[in-house]
Amino acid sequence: MKQTIIAFALSLLAGSALAAPAKLRVVTSSADLASITREVGGELVDVTSIARGYQDPHFVEPKPSFLLLLKNADLLMVIGLDLEIGWLPPLIDQSRNAKIRPGSSGYLDVSRGVEILDRPAGAVNRSMGDVHPLGNPHYWLDPANAVRIAIQAAKKLEELQPANAAVFQKRLNDFKGRMNAADLRWTAALAPYKGAKIVTYHNSWPNFMRRYGIDVVDFVEPKPGVPPSPSHLFQLIRMMKEQRVKVIVMEPYFDHKTPQSVADRTGAKLVVLYPSVGGAKTGSDDYFQLFDLNIATLIEALKN
Amino acid sequence: MTRRGPISRAFLFLFLVIALPAAAQEEDRISRLEQKLDELLRQASAIREELNALRGGTEAAQTLSEVELVTPDSPPSATSLADVQTVDNQASPGAAKALNPDMSVVGTLLSHAGDNFEERAPFALDEVEVALEAFIDPYAKGRFFIAVTPEEVDVEEGYAQFVTLPWGLTAKAGKTKATFGKANTWHTHNRPWADQPLMVTRFLGEEGLADVGVSVSRTIDNPFGAFIEATGEVYSGDVEGTFGRGADNDLLYNAHLKFFRDLTENSNVEVGTSWARGTLPEGEGHNRLAGVDVTYRWKPLSRALYNSLIARVEAIAAERSDFDRALYGYYASLDYQLARRWFAGARIDRADGFQDDSRFTDRGLSASLTFWPSQFSQLRGQYRRTTLHGGPSFNEFLLQLQFAIGAHGAHSF
Repeated sequence: MKQTIIAFALSLLAGSALAAPAKLRVVTSSADLASITREVGGELVDVTSIARGYQDPHFVEPKPSFLLLLKNADLLMVIGLDLEIGWLPPLIDQSRNAKIRPGSSGYLDVSRGVEILDRPAGAVNRSMGDVHPLGNPHYWLDPANAVRIAIQAAKKLEELQPANAAVFQKRLNDFKGRMNAADLRWTAALAPYKGAKIVTYHNSWPNFMRRYGIDVVDFVEPKPGVPPSPSHLFQLIRMMKEQRVKVIVMEPYFDHKTPQSVADRTGAKLVVLYPSVGGAKTGSDDYFQLFDLNIATLIEALKN
Repeated sequence: MTRRGPISRAFLFLFLVIALPAAAQEEDRISRLEQKLDELLRQASAIREELNALRGGTEAAQTLSEVELVTPDSPPSATSLADVQTVDNQASPGAAKALNPDMSVVGTLLSHAGDNFEERAPFALDEVEVALEAFIDPYAKGRFFIAVTPEEVDVEEGYAQFVTLPWGLTAKAGKTKATFGKANTWHTHNRPWADQPLMVTRFLGEEGLADVGVSVSRTIDNPFGAFIEATGEVYSGDVEGTFGRGADNDLLYNAHLKFFRDLTENSNVEVGTSWARGTLPEGEGHNRLAGVDVTYRWKPLSRALYNSLIARVEAIAAERSDFDRALYGYYASLDYQLARRWFAGARIDRADGFQDDSRFTDRGLSASLTFWPSQFSQLRGQYRRTTLHGGPSFNEFLLQLQFAIGAHGAHSF
């Protein structure tokens, strides 16, 4: 009997010693970062995004339920460039988790290592609308930047869990390879439409459109974050007619009425492209699917 | 086999003595040149990368599997110290300001029309709030909110918030708004109304319950998937019209328990209870307050810019040693976002008071319409009907314009 107890106790000890190291708990501000981090971390990480793909990432409510996530997080990954300025700082302050504060080892701002567009050259002020003084934060919509995000994620995961460094590196290389193959496919698919002129609702697509050679000539918003005025729409319609712009791209979280009326008056087609993973109800579950869906939708619209 | 003579041996020796070091020197020179060449090639590729980045990276013919991080830090140079040159650091004029706190000013202009029982001016710069916020050090944030009203300049709040405490704690020390219910914790520009409910001004003070002291809060783990937070506060006990201090030990104690849970992705509920206990303003006898607040929020994530709804109820009960019956107050309000920039709201109000040993009740009704030109300004019209002591009613119209400049820290939920 005694022996059984000892054996049982020993097996318990052995069991606890042999148990796999706990999964790293990663919280990301956006679903895109979550998708890319899952590619790199695989089964070794548990990734949750605060913002959903179908919500405007500028306006997330800092709900206390997010504090429960942040409290136990090993790593917080953010888009940066002030995209989350309206909601993330109070969440971090109340998270009671010193690990994920800016400057700590569990905080990763991936804007530090990516290519950023639309950096204002001079001083900015709010007469220009809700401009981002540090540059356009929608940079994740360029596959090259997705790779740059993945490199940073892998480096950080290695730092937090050195025992699995080889796994993260292998997964990173695998991701790079698949991303490259997919990008070649996307580039080829959009090649016939190089130089096509489009209008987008918000300036969410500079990195994406530049990569595939699509020319964004104007925005439905007169200034970032400012709803369109009749005079701006009048000018926009005239310009679209002059330049024969045939496609208006909008994000899913804006109201379609205004851009639809512009489309009706110019003979253009209004399409919804999804700026974030999970934006569409189906078929945008990861970064690859998101691009497959967006590019197919865009081609369908540009065909006409 | 020829035998080498002593002379030829001497030559060989001389040759070796001279040539070997020379050859070694040559070798050394070549390897140094190689190093320099490597360095130059490295620099050239760095320049090429930079050029590509400047031109816009897509023109680079690299494949995605070769993509590298874009980093502002150039690689450390491997030149020998003999080749070190001075570095041309550009003066950055903004850098000296980098440690300045985030500064903002929020102006509130209030215009009044109708029955004037509170002696309001037709136009008043009701409040100018100056906010300064910055990290003090790695452990704490400093926040100051200075309110300039027609009557006075007052530190509305001014505290250090300690954000890296152990055991799930956070703390504030300084002058803070007491965590009693919800409405008491909001600054003027955060309120969904142009005024304060009667319940707040009657029971918590004209300026609300705010005092100098310490506030400590902790989250409580629970099996309900809810966010539960307990807050305990001790204040020095001077709140105009509500609490006073007769002796040094007459402190004001406040406690708050908050329960928050998501109902669905689009809706959530918050329930809070509060207790406060202190000395009456006259410095004798106690004033005890108990409150409950319930907030229901609905905001469909994919339509969050355009539609949302918030329903609020707060109720309070007071037990004072200078009056023999309990006093009650409550408000209930509903705010609905009609469109991206339009909000409509309604509120009912009730608060007891007492005079000459008898209790009376005041009631209020409000309806408001708010327009947001942008996130940084708002215009609000509010109709208000107040019935005092169950007798005469007053009808008023308030028009409030709020405008903010500068970097104002985001508000907690």
